[in-house]
Amino acid sequence: MSLFEQAFRPVGSTRRDPVLVALWISLIVVAVLWIMPFVFIVFTSLKTTSEVMRSSAFAAPTAPAWSNYAFAWQTGDFGTTAFNSALISIIKVPLGLFLSAMAAYALTRIEMPLRRALFVLVVFGTMIPFQVMLAPIFRQVNLFGLINTYPGIILPYLAFGVPYQVFILYGFFNAVPRELSEAARIDGAGHFTIFRRIFLPISLPVLSALLILDFVATWNEFAMALVILQDMDMWTLPLGMMGFSSQFSNDYGELNAAIVMTVLPAAIVYLMFQRYFIAGLTTGAVKE
Amino acid sequence: MPARTSLSPVTTGWLMLSPALCVYLLFAVYPMFDVLVMSFSSWNGLTADSAFAGWDNYRWVTTQDPVFWTALWNTIAWTLLALIVPNLLAFALALSLNQRLPGVAPLQVIFYLPVIIASIAVATIWKWMYDPFFGLLNATLTGAGLSGWILDWLGDRQVALWSVFAAHVWQSVGFAMVLFLAGLQSVSPTLIEAARIDGAGRWGVFRHVTLHALRPSIVVVVALSLINSLKAFDIVYGMTGGGPAQSTQMLAMWAYSQAMQLGNFGRGAAISVILLGITLVIVIPYLRWMLKTEEPAR
Repeated sequence: MSLFEQAFRPVGSTRRDPVLVALWISLIVVAVLWIMPFVFIVFTSLKTTSEVMRSSAFAAPTAPAWSNYAFAWQTGDFGTTAFNSALISIIKVPLGLFLSAMAAYALTRIEMPLRRALFVLVVFGTMIPFQVMLAPIFRQVNLFGLINTYPGIILPYLAFGVPYQVFILYGFFNAVPRELSEAARIDGAGHFTIFRRIFLPISLPVLSALLILDFVATWNEFAMALVILQDMDMWTLPLGMMGFSSQFSNDYGELNAAIVMTVLPAAIVYLMFQRYFIAGLTTGAVKE
Repeated sequence: MPARTSLSPVTTGWLMLSPALCVYLLFAVYPMFDVLVMSFSSWNGLTADSAFAGWDNYRWVTTQDPVFWTALWNTIAWTLLALIVPNLLAFALALSLNQRLPGVAPLQVIFYLPVIIASIAVATIWKWMYDPFFGLLNATLTGAGLSGWILDWLGDRQVALWSVFAAHVWQSVGFAMVLFLAGLQSVSPTLIEAARIDGAGRWGVFRHVTLHALRPSIVVVVALSLINSLKAFDIVYGMTGGGPAQSTQMLAMWAYSQAMQLGNFGRGAAISVILLGITLVIVIPYLRWMLKTEEPAR
């Protein structure tokens, strides 16, 4: 109630501001534009091909054709691709986070030679896009004989995920009061114990934010998987959807059902954990 | 120093650091040097031997490959526009969402939603939006009595790249918006009120208080959109595959196509090195700025 009474009034003013009302209306218009593609995709995914051709693009489906989903799931082999995506994410995301956290601890809390240089090397890695050098990554993975294998995709994912996470955790660990770890050191605890008993528990909020961000990034990744996972049995969800869309580009309903199935898991994770997304993005990028 | 631990702190440090460091050096840093070596050799990707080729690959790419120049030009134009269009929109949205308006939270969720969707899915969604016969865009134009504006959005060489760009705008606005919003939330309300009391108008407050506080956010957004534009791959691959007639080709994808599809690893690597060079020109000043703001507080 009181919130609504404050609406449309600028800070420190009690008058309703017409500029703010106009602003709000334009926001709603943009939001409608933004949400249209989703509505269109979901509508089409529930129409038969003949209904797509007959009805208006804006019309809701008359009798939802759920069979589109069943067809896409089976023909597109979504069982296999979803399994591959899930397996790769479940191994890569926690493992990468653990490695990054250990590295960030070592860089912030242990007096090591070259510490500064190593940190610069890591920050540099946060900005080098792997899309620029897909072929040499392919060659490196091939050298280890890991093309078309789970480790073959997980290792480069780790390599390109580690820098950003180390960078964020480095900032976070640096803000932890020195006294905390020094007291434990005096009590005789080793660095690894301090890391596990003190640093991991207190950084749970940051770790969960990074976990969710990284899960979505890994789940969505396409270019690297395209180069390394060439065998259809190893395809991840994005590759499977791309394959399906080039094969069934005229089966509009089924194609859109495939899109919905690919997009839905990430969308659900986002809607459930939105707060962590914002936190994960902004701790790293914008400092006070 | 306490003596109860068996390993020296430095040894523990290296043990904790090395797994992350090794995988990073092997699969991210090494390929960067490898691509440089590769660009001076000729290798078809299949045989074991590769011959030293000198500057041949660079010469071929810049003098005999018309697609390279299209791709370079497209990458530059895309990058400049990606710097301006989505970020200005994101800035406007962030400023609006920062006002006392009802329903700000759900609006924010809507604008951010496309960001978390796989780029390849965004590509497929928009390909369907642009469908010449049943797509939403042409249906809207017909409905609005603008049938004359109807185009083959992805099949026309004049407009295809900008049709892809529109999808990119839809996908990327939310990201910059969140970064701007975070910056705006750090602007202290008391400062704004103080400026108001001192007689500053809406524009004055914006210029002297808000914009000043947003400076770090602006640097971050600008740098990230530059870097992200240079690596544009998924969305072009998914929407046009570089076509029609290579008119939407971009450097990252052309490097991939040369190496992985046509088997010219040397030429592909030369394109990668050129793109990597452009990236470094942007990354290094940003890196220095970041390290300056990230000075460990101790």
